[in-house]
Amino acid sequence: MEPGVNTDMGAAAATLDYDAELMLRVKEGDGTSFGVLLEKHRASVIHFVYRLVQEQAVAEELAQEVFLRVYRSRSSYEPTAKFKTWLFRIATHLALNWLRDEKHERGQERLDEVSGDLPVRQVCDRRPSVEQELVYQVKLEEVRRAVAALPEKQRAAVLMHKYEEMEYAQIAKVLGCSESAVKSLLFRAYETLRARLAHMETT
Amino acid sequence: MNCPIENRNSAMLVAHAAGELDPLAARVLEQHLAGCEACRSVAAEQIAMWKALDAWEAPPVSPDFDRRLYRRIGEGAPLSWWERLARPFRAIPLRQALPLTATAGLLLMAGLLLQHPGSYAPAPAPHSQAVRADQVESTLDDLDLLRQFGTANSAESVHNDAM
Amino acid sequence: MLLRFGFAILLAAAAVGPVWAQQDPDKQSGQQLVENSIDRWNRMSPAERERQLAKLPPDRARMIRQRILRYNQMNPEEQQALRERYQTFSQLPPDKQEIIRERLREFRTLPRLRRPVVHGEVEQLRLMPEAQRQTRMNSDEFRNRYSPQEQQIIRDLSTYLPK
Repeated sequence: MEPGVNTDMGAAAATLDYDAELMLRVKEGDGTSFGVLLEKHRASVIHFVYRLVQEQAVAEELAQEVFLRVYRSRSSYEPTAKFKTWLFRIATHLALNWLRDEKHERGQERLDEVSGDLPVRQVCDRRPSVEQELVYQVKLEEVRRAVAALPEKQRAAVLMHKYEEMEYAQIAKVLGCSESAVKSLLFRAYETLRARLAHMETT
Repeated sequence: MNCPIENRNSAMLVAHAAGELDPLAARVLEQHLAGCEACRSVAAEQIAMWKALDAWEAPPVSPDFDRRLYRRIGEGAPLSWWERLARPFRAIPLRQALPLTATAGLLLMAGLLLQHPGSYAPAPAPHSQAVRADQVESTLDDLDLLRQFGTANSAESVHNDAM
Repeated sequence: MLLRFGFAILLAAAAVGPVWAQQDPDKQSGQQLVENSIDRWNRMSPAERERQLAKLPPDRARMIRQRILRYNQMNPEEQQALRERYQTFSQLPPDKQEIIRERLREFRTLPRLRRPVVHGEVEQLRLMPEAQRQTRMNSDEFRNRYSPQEQQIIRDLSTYLPK
């Protein structure tokens, strides 16, 4: 833990206990608790996998597989780590496997292809002009390509750190490496991303 | 403070860009940034890059995600006791099975009539075969789709009497 | 010998059990219908049905109740035909089912006046031998008559939608 970095250990600990507790109830046959866990983590798993593989349909399929595995392994579940850590370990494993299979089948070029999978822009109070929309899409494409160009483990680490706000220790458990290795991954990843994205004007 | 760049410890700068530093640490870092051009440059780039990543929104989740998931969970459910019992016998050759089946059928019918003379009532679904509401919803969705296509040649609106 | 015969009857009784359990006294068409989830739902006790519905948000539960009611109130012949189509559909591999669902959803979004045209084309193509079907779908007339989306709908539904 870096000095000076804000954490709310009390709330985090309570969250850990509650999710793990819910999963223990699922282990005992309580399907409703599974529904609660699904409701809570569905979006973050799908979004995490989406940003890793950058195809929405694939992301949802893989996310389904994640929750399917969670459900099917309920009888042997033991809360040895945070529930979210376990969940993201499964998600990362499946997504990285898919990426490796895809890379083997289609070659690296696929990662740089322009995808038709661009997300619909959240429209704010004022509709963006056509020009603004175009600028937005171009920026978005640049961000996607920059992330896609990162080595897989760096990509996964960045996505967990940036979008899931997971701590180094938790990311380390997901990736099965040390905390210092995670710091190194993030250091190199952010260095690369700064070089590619820092020039972008922000509105 | 020790210079993050010189010490190859950019975690402080990353945390600063993410707004994760507590006020005291943030003040200390900002004092350092005021006098260190290298760190100031990296910090500015990190903030710009962080904002760029912020703009990347993921698409919304499909509304039928849960339904598909529960269906897959249901497909992996263990066989009912009827299905497990019947499985080994499906290979009985037809010419052997037919007379046996007829005889067994007569015996079963006799048994039922002795128990419930004069009426046939379907047995209530055993608790283990209780259907979930979302499973029913899924079936209704499929029936709806099939029905609407089936009536499309009469140019009915899809909004008429959808199930 | 007698012992063997008796044992065979017992085995046959077990084999015929599941078929017996699935017999529907209301079956009228040539196709033997297996219970779908709505049938099983209808056989559940009201208490069990409400227990399952209580797991869903109230609005969704209310919609499901209404839809089941509409389904149960369908004209019996219409319901029978729909059940047969659904049964054939549900026996397809899951990936084929998903393709059909996708295309039927897209079909629903077509302009009202286009639906009977697309529907008619699908029905026509399904009756054709494969070679003739391919020739038709690759023809200029077909490409000029239907948008790319409509072509895809027609292609997949004529291929996968059960007769």
